[in-house]
Amino acid sequence: MTGPLAGARVLDLTQGVAGPYATKMFSDYGAEVLKIERPGRGDASRRIGPFPRDEPHIETSGMFLHLNTGKRSVTLDLATATGRELLLRLAADADIIVESFRPGTLERLGIGPDVLAEANPAAALVRISSFGQDGPYRDFEADDMLLYAAGGVMQVTGDPEREPIKLGLYAPLFFAGCVIAGMMMGALRTSLRDGQGERVEISIHEVLTASMDRGGPNIVAYQYSGALMIERIKNVVYSGLPTGVYPCADGYVQVATQPAWFPRMCRAMGREDLIDNEHFTSNVFNPDFLPEMEAIFYPWVLSHTKQEVMEIAQAEGWPVCAINTVEDAYRDPAFRARDFFRTIEHPVAGTYEYPGLPIRFKRTPGEMHVAPLLGEHTFEVLTERLGHTPAEVAILGQRGVV
Amino acid sequence: MADPAKPLDGIRVLAQGIVWAGPFSTMILADLGAEVIEIESIQHLNPTRTNLRHIPQALLEGRAGASYLNRDGSEGFWNRQAWFNYAKRGCKSVTLDLRSERGHELFLDLVRHSDAYIENNAADVVDNLNIGYEVLREVNPELIMVRFPGFGIEGPYRDFKGYGANMEAVAGHTGVRGYPESDPSETPASLHGDPTSGAQVAFALQAALFSRDRTGEGQLVEISQFEAVASHVGHAFMDYQMNGRVQGHAGNHHPSMAPYGAFPCAGEDRWITIAIPSDEAFAALCAQMGRPELAEDERFADTAVRHRNRDAINAEVAAWTPAFEDHALMLQLQAAGVPAVATTHHEEITSDPHHVARGFFQSITQHEAGTHFFPGPMARFERTSLLPARPAPTLGRHNEEILCGVLGLNAGEYQQLLDDEVIGTVYLETASA
Repeated sequence: MTGPLAGARVLDLTQGVAGPYATKMFSDYGAEVLKIERPGRGDASRRIGPFPRDEPHIETSGMFLHLNTGKRSVTLDLATATGRELLLRLAADADIIVESFRPGTLERLGIGPDVLAEANPAAALVRISSFGQDGPYRDFEADDMLLYAAGGVMQVTGDPEREPIKLGLYAPLFFAGCVIAGMMMGALRTSLRDGQGERVEISIHEVLTASMDRGGPNIVAYQYSGALMIERIKNVVYSGLPTGVYPCADGYVQVATQPAWFPRMCRAMGREDLIDNEHFTSNVFNPDFLPEMEAIFYPWVLSHTKQEVMEIAQAEGWPVCAINTVEDAYRDPAFRARDFFRTIEHPVAGTYEYPGLPIRFKRTPGEMHVAPLLGEHTFEVLTERLGHTPAEVAILGQRGVV
Repeated sequence: MADPAKPLDGIRVLAQGIVWAGPFSTMILADLGAEVIEIESIQHLNPTRTNLRHIPQALLEGRAGASYLNRDGSEGFWNRQAWFNYAKRGCKSVTLDLRSERGHELFLDLVRHSDAYIENNAADVVDNLNIGYEVLREVNPELIMVRFPGFGIEGPYRDFKGYGANMEAVAGHTGVRGYPESDPSETPASLHGDPTSGAQVAFALQAALFSRDRTGEGQLVEISQFEAVASHVGHAFMDYQMNGRVQGHAGNHHPSMAPYGAFPCAGEDRWITIAIPSDEAFAALCAQMGRPELAEDERFADTAVRHRNRDAINAEVAAWTPAFEDHALMLQLQAAGVPAVATTHHEEITSDPHHVARGFFQSITQHEAGTHFFPGPMARFERTSLLPARPAPTLGRHNEEILCGVLGLNAGEYQQLLDDEVIGTVYLETASA
């Protein structure tokens, strides 16, 4: 099904997680994404896994398959003059060029912004890096945890008596990818408006610093009041009502209870008698009251499964949710009712259900297609797009250019 | 070749982008130049500003009170609050009582004059207000409407409520983060889902504009935060299907790197994160530690065996780092080619030398809260600067500008709206969340 970005052409020089997640959003929603990979090695995420039966294989990394749905893979050795020339000819066709090499790499290869602009003055160029293209940390080595630490949020995440803790594997980079995709759209719009291109620079460090995952507001709050609103705290007790993680019959639930929601909580627990009880209502803001409240809450929550707790509470408008394992989430009735997972067959890795499209464009839905084999589209692109003969492509292959 | 037009110049977006996901979307859209008009009301508290008409003293003195300027809960506190003033920068505020006939009529008129309406109210709200997509499309066929309640607008959880932490829990993220060998109560929540879906809204709106530019047609777009988060743990879903493995709380462990984690430094609550991806980086770390023999130790000889013995090598590193100041150690290790970064403290972040060198933090003066530093736009556009950033609006600040300037109301009509409490700049005493 046609996505909203049908007709947009992306030349994708990113690898890893953040850049590829951004271009996956382009690909899933209809753009043509030409992914340039290094001959023989390909994208680093081809080595991340997970792999079927835990056997590493360049074509079966779950991370790669998930991040690169629907893209077309062209292998080019950018260390060779011919490889660079082919790249510039592909650039001439692109609406947007996106890269995530280390700062300075494109320039060193002789395909810096000015060279790319000469090949295609109308295209947008988006440069993604860990710490930006300048500044004292420009050349720092980093990964998702280090960037999360640098962005300031890791310091306020976790138990105060233990070390700060990161998010799920690569989550900060997935998030950065979402921001990058939005900025790429802005770049595309600007360059299409007057056909004069645009250059955009994105530092993942800055994206994570500005995130609404507590960081941005916490930085402002500190200036407003001289204190942090969010720190590593064992149990954040804002009020006399249960908020946070609680055990239940078969696992745990995530509970959020604003003081104003006390009546909803009472109704869910079948304790309507407490709604107007002044001993309770006068203490809903009082953190010292929490143990007394929990003495009522615990027996109720422990007598239900997480799915039951969620459904009973939510029926009263009380935001309580099950804390699902990956297996629970995979089987979750709402994901299933919404047909979230998409079944995709891959010639080497096999058939799996992939997390589907979180954005549903009702008129132009888009669709996820299988991720490419390394260099799967090299021949097709070089012959059909660039007009090379099969014999010429074969020679390029022998020379290791493609 | 200066071009003053920002990417979304000329695009008018009506927004009810509430709590945390909503504001992150409007922040990006406003940064990119859209005219974002937050539709609020004096009858209904905007949860990004406050859930309570009056802030109890106990709350002001507590942790949440830190978000209010000088912990001041006097009238107008909703204009001096960090969450709202951070993320609604550059937006405008119009108050309209959508439950009144006149307010509803004016909203439809605004829709007629707008490109998009984005909202993450509870899923039933727009239908209850008679401003669902079918209604708005009649008024403006080119309208793009983006709806992003936490669990979407369809399916069994449609009416479920929750904050980011709740969506993350359902989507499986909470299950894979957190301290290893612990239960999830030992790891306080993150808010990964909110900014994630907020960012996706900014992308989706622009993608729908791209399509509209080519077809002349608007559309309805739905985003659900629990699906957005599930996409970010995609590899874990793959692992479950490929290997039957249910990934648990990984803590600061990495699936292949070691040493890896946050290690204590000199001083109180100071940490350095270190990630060793290769034998070269490991040898460089050992050299810095003055322990070159560790690189020869058979327990640590290559990446795979190091990972198997990660507790042992992590312990060696943790015994070494406390002698060093975190920032100095970061500079020393990075200079030696060792990936290491000190955890940044929010108290110090505006003076971080890298941010200062790049001029990332922007000084913004907000009308009632004064001048403070804010993280700047998350991208630098070379031709079309996204700066200067504008402040977040006080409640109803742009009523006259929009209602008279855009919709053409005269002074008498405007006064009538004020008299009838259809609009205003102060929450009514009866306002509720």
